[in-house]
Amino acid sequence: MNDECRIGVYICNCGTNIAKVIDAGLVRDRVADLPGVACARTYEYMCSNPGQEMIAQDIREHKLDRIVVAACSPRMHELTFGNALEDAGLNRHMLEMANIREQCSWVHDDGARATAKAADLTHAAIRRVARHEPLEKQEAPYTPATMVLGGGIAGLTVAVELADAGQHVHLIERESRLGGNVGRVDLTAPYLDSARDILAEKIILAESNPRIDVQLRSTLTDLQGFVGNFQATVTHQDGAAQQLDVGSVVVCTGYREFDASRIERLGYGKHLDVITSFELEQRLRAGKLETADGRVPRYVSIVHCVGSRHAKYHTYCSRVCCMTALKYGHEIKSALPDAMVTDLYVDMLSFGKGGEDLYRRTSELKTMFLMYEKEDYPVVRAAEKGDDCGLLVQVEEKLSGETIDVPADLVVLMVGMQARSDGADVARTVGISQDRHGWFIESHPKLAPVSTATEGVFIAGCCQSPKDIPDSVAQARASAAMVLGHIARGKVVVDARYAQVDADLCSGCRMCNELCPYTAIGYDPEEGRSDIQSALCKACGTCVAACPSGAITARHFTDEQILEQIEGVLAWSSSQP
Amino acid sequence: MEFEPTIVGFLCNWCSYTGADLAGTARIKHRPNLRVVRVMCTGRVDPTFVLKAFRSGADGVMICGCHPGDCHYLEGNDKAFRRHQLLKRMLVAYGIEEQRLRLEWVSASEGERYARLVDTMTAELRVLGPLKLAPDLGRPPGPCPEPTAPREVAHG
Repeated sequence: MNDECRIGVYICNCGTNIAKVIDAGLVRDRVADLPGVACARTYEYMCSNPGQEMIAQDIREHKLDRIVVAACSPRMHELTFGNALEDAGLNRHMLEMANIREQCSWVHDDGARATAKAADLTHAAIRRVARHEPLEKQEAPYTPATMVLGGGIAGLTVAVELADAGQHVHLIERESRLGGNVGRVDLTAPYLDSARDILAEKIILAESNPRIDVQLRSTLTDLQGFVGNFQATVTHQDGAAQQLDVGSVVVCTGYREFDASRIERLGYGKHLDVITSFELEQRLRAGKLETADGRVPRYVSIVHCVGSRHAKYHTYCSRVCCMTALKYGHEIKSALPDAMVTDLYVDMLSFGKGGEDLYRRTSELKTMFLMYEKEDYPVVRAAEKGDDCGLLVQVEEKLSGETIDVPADLVVLMVGMQARSDGADVARTVGISQDRHGWFIESHPKLAPVSTATEGVFIAGCCQSPKDIPDSVAQARASAAMVLGHIARGKVVVDARYAQVDADLCSGCRMCNELCPYTAIGYDPEEGRSDIQSALCKACGTCVAACPSGAITARHFTDEQILEQIEGVLAWSSSQP
Repeated sequence: MEFEPTIVGFLCNWCSYTGADLAGTARIKHRPNLRVVRVMCTGRVDPTFVLKAFRSGADGVMICGCHPGDCHYLEGNDKAFRRHQLLKRMLVAYGIEEQRLRLEWVSASEGERYARLVDTMTAELRVLGPLKLAPDLGRPPGPCPEPTAPREVAHG
């Protein structure tokens, strides 16, 4: 088998990313004489244009029929090199990558052992690629209608963008109103424009556009099918279910605020005048900045980082709280010019466009900034008789080293953002993953920020991680652009990696029928054979491993390919019997 | 020289392979003893893959998949779990210690966990020593040996 192949092997230095630990030349020398290898080379950056051109030229000159690239993770550049193969006239599946960067040079210090491992992985890739077969493309039409989950600022933006471009949108909102968390806010940082104005325009556009079907008090309860061809089940609060055909799903399910009562010393739930930032927003929107018993506060104390950047609660920064707190300085001072506003903060993170300006302007308002040690929250207690305030906030002030009792009639807790508790249900329904904090994971943190592990499912806004309105809108418009790109192409190339039943080997035991989570396997009672609908198959391979007759083949993950790879990684191991 | 075990890791494409990549992106150092074989889902791991790895010289096998309930394919990891239970019993019958096969859940965000799993399994196998298969098991399959004497068939 091997001798008939003409394999080109390319070992990437990735600048110094691989070369500083792995001796690529040594790897090349070890694999160059393996059966089937027609040429083996090293290069600085295989993914660069000259690197790809080198492969293309070798394919022509050496009549190569298979390519191994030992470089970064296939999750990074499998697509790039697959395209390079196609451009040079080879089927994209005649490629195998050996991951010698993420899973080798970046995690090992011992150069000799890392080089030996890289050689093993490259050897395995050569053995595997020799068994690769060209797989033909399958195409399916792309349904232009899109489902948007969540009617907050991100979801509204996606819906309006798509409808503006002439496409049909189902906007599904769990609550009884559109607007999401932005609908609970008064002004927005850093330019102090009204959230109501920003939102009202989007809501009117969404509700008045005949191409947007707004469904309130509804959730997505089931999603079947595949990219471009999903069948969604939307269930209304009253139990009525509806089936919708959509090509794409954009998840914009947002966030929940941190539950401040979890931090006892802050006194939330104990003292009526300790309120969360959202409760302050409510009072600001109502134009009634008062204490619980209707007095005008003379002292307002704002505690930053409530639930954020703390090992016990959430370790991440919620990104918007510092800016929102600075905004409160303006709002409180303009409503009550004589009030004394104190910010108790850890670090002032006024990042982004206009952020530092807002910080400067707030400083000039004669608000006071007191720094507390990270994770050492201030303690809120009732003031004593004779004090001219209702509460005292005891803070270990970090810069002066003193313990200070800050007077307060109103204590505002800047509650951070956390993932919604129903996030796991959403993730499971649409087939995406969550990180350890519960935020949905994008395909690539830098290069694919709105795509997900499931093709045709996109994410935007705070369900991906805490972010402000401009960032949410940017992601929403990016998602809309991705969807429009799919619609413009009009069809979708279905993964050629699916499972196939060999009817001659199938005994008709139907074990696989029950195993398939996608009901892609049908049974023909007349023939007494099972059969797989390739468009529904997602190529997990569970049926392949279970078939007692060995009648099912996982295309591109065949038994032969995997067994060759296993032998390949072990061929040079010292302990082989 | 201290014994360095070789481990074959079957990692699912969606959670664990991504988690192993994350260990790289975050430069979380770990032992270089494990060789990864990527599969789409742990449900694809045919028990014969594991047996093949042991027969080809692996001292240990680690199967890593998505956490229960998080499988990209809904429930492939459940299938892997059930097969693992059976396979462990079978390995023991072959004289292969139970510790040589591990099934672990590693999510896409658990680079640190992945690195520590590789380290602990390497350390355990170092103590356990190289896998010693019965000669028949380690030998590549050849032609069937001739029976030494014709089998007596009792007629009754």
